Amino acid sequence: MLFVWREALVGLRRNLTMSIAMVITTAISLGLLGAGLLAVRTIDRTEDLYYSLIAVQVALDEPTSADDPDCTTPVCRDLRSELERDPLVASVEYESRDAAFARFQRIYAGQSILQLVRPQSLPATLRVTMADPLRGTEIVDRFTGRPGVRNVVDQRSTVADLFSFLGSVRNATFGLAVVQTLAAVLLISNTIQLSAFTRRTEVGIMRLVGATRWYTQVPFLIEAVVTGVVGAVLATGGLVAAKAFFLDRLLSGRLLANTIPPIGMSDVLGYVGPVLVVVGTVIATATGYVTLRLYVRQ
Amino acid sequence: MIRLENVSKVYPTSTRPALDDVSVAVERGEFVFLIGPSGSGKSTLLRLLLREDVPTGGTVWVANWNVGRLARRRVPRLRQRMGCVFQDFRLLPNKTVGENVAFALEVIGKPRHTVRTVVPEVLDMVDLGGKADRMPSELSGGEAQRVAIARAFVNRPLVLLADEPTGNLDPETAGGIMTLIERINRTGTTVLMATHDRQIVDSMRRRVVELSSGRLARDDDRGVYGTVR
Repeated sequence: MLFVWREALVGLRRNLTMSIAMVITTAISLGLLGAGLLAVRTIDRTEDLYYSLIAVQVALDEPTSADDPDCTTPVCRDLRSELERDPLVASVEYESRDAAFARFQRIYAGQSILQLVRPQSLPATLRVTMADPLRGTEIVDRFTGRPGVRNVVDQRSTVADLFSFLGSVRNATFGLAVVQTLAAVLLISNTIQLSAFTRRTEVGIMRLVGATRWYTQVPFLIEAVVTGVVGAVLATGGLVAAKAFFLDRLLSGRLLANTIPPIGMSDVLGYVGPVLVVVGTVIATATGYVTLRLYVRQ
Repeated sequence: MIRLENVSKVYPTSTRPALDDVSVAVERGEFVFLIGPSGSGKSTLLRLLLREDVPTGGTVWVANWNVGRLARRRVPRLRQRMGCVFQDFRLLPNKTVGENVAFALEVIGKPRHTVRTVVPEVLDMVDLGGKADRMPSELSGGEAQRVAIARAFVNRPLVLLADEPTGNLDPETAGGIMTLIERINRTGTTVLMATHDRQIVDSMRRRVVELSSGRLARDDDRGVYGTVR
């Protein structure tokens, strides 16, 4: 077994420039894959964060809103109990016109808009928290235009833009990762063929002495696997660096603070790192194996 | 030990067969010279025995293996029981003399302590005891061939195949190589040696099998290279 490791190292050293190119390409493709995985994680977390906050707001019309501090008018009471009975709904909260005005004053404290807004311009609202946040549109459809209802707003649609942005970041990284992986696979395959070609006389002699095909080919396979593992380690290192020097600052900056939850070091080292090592090893091994089967006849 | 039954070999690119209906048997422990001009089929015959090629007709037996029908994955097993020596030595260029010999043991999975004791013994036998750490490029032709013989013999093969082992050597060095091959033959190893070297064949008086244009032309016990007409 010592023999095969020695041979693999010799092989990697012999084509040093090729080996470096192979490792870099692998590292980049795995790094992109890792970035994509982190994006998916972040999107999931952002969605969790938002879905616990967002709700469907059923705004009541002027007559219903007026002078009703705790939803005692028949119209409001009926709407509320119908919502509460609905299996899609987790809970319903009533916010009276006065409460809405108080909240408004709190949010816009010290700003000139306060001078213009009277309590009368704000509706009373039923804040509906959905059991399944994705099905808010069904409530919107059902309650829009009902007596006593001014309008129904699914807050989810207002954050949909953010999610679609994050989603396209994810898709773009995965797309790049696929293209880059293709390049890495071709490069690995090519390097193995080259490696096998430069050593064909040697391998021929080994075969004559009675070495099995397996015995002569495992070094090439190990070359590929080493590439995959080193590439994955470099990719993980790159992601750690990207997190520390770039993402942490971006996500804690004024623009995005509290909008997108930060990426933890445990996400990179505990989740993405191992995945990349496994994926890198599997892809490199499979590429090596197929190349040896198809192109290396000795 | 070796038996060829009506063996033919036609290469797809050639119209004339390289071997044409050749039958010959070699007993265990025999020493046989295989002679004939270039292109007469000597190398083809050796290639068939090593399963570098398969016959297009007939059967090749080595020990109990039907070589032509041997499954691919069993070929290494066959070669592990055969030693082979070539005109161009075929040593692994980036391994030392000792590693080259050890390689033949490593591929059959001999434990390292065995390798460590057996390799120096065999190198002593071929008078290269002090040169285990040399690289093949530092050796003379005669020395390189002795390494090749050590490698062929180290796992005590049933058969030693030699394809013009003295072809690149001066007569004196060649004589030394022949002494070695004879010594290996005396341990009971069957030897089949293809050669052009008239002097060696004539002086040793062993069995001579001659091929001519792929056909068996002569099979003499204690023969000579050629009859003078």
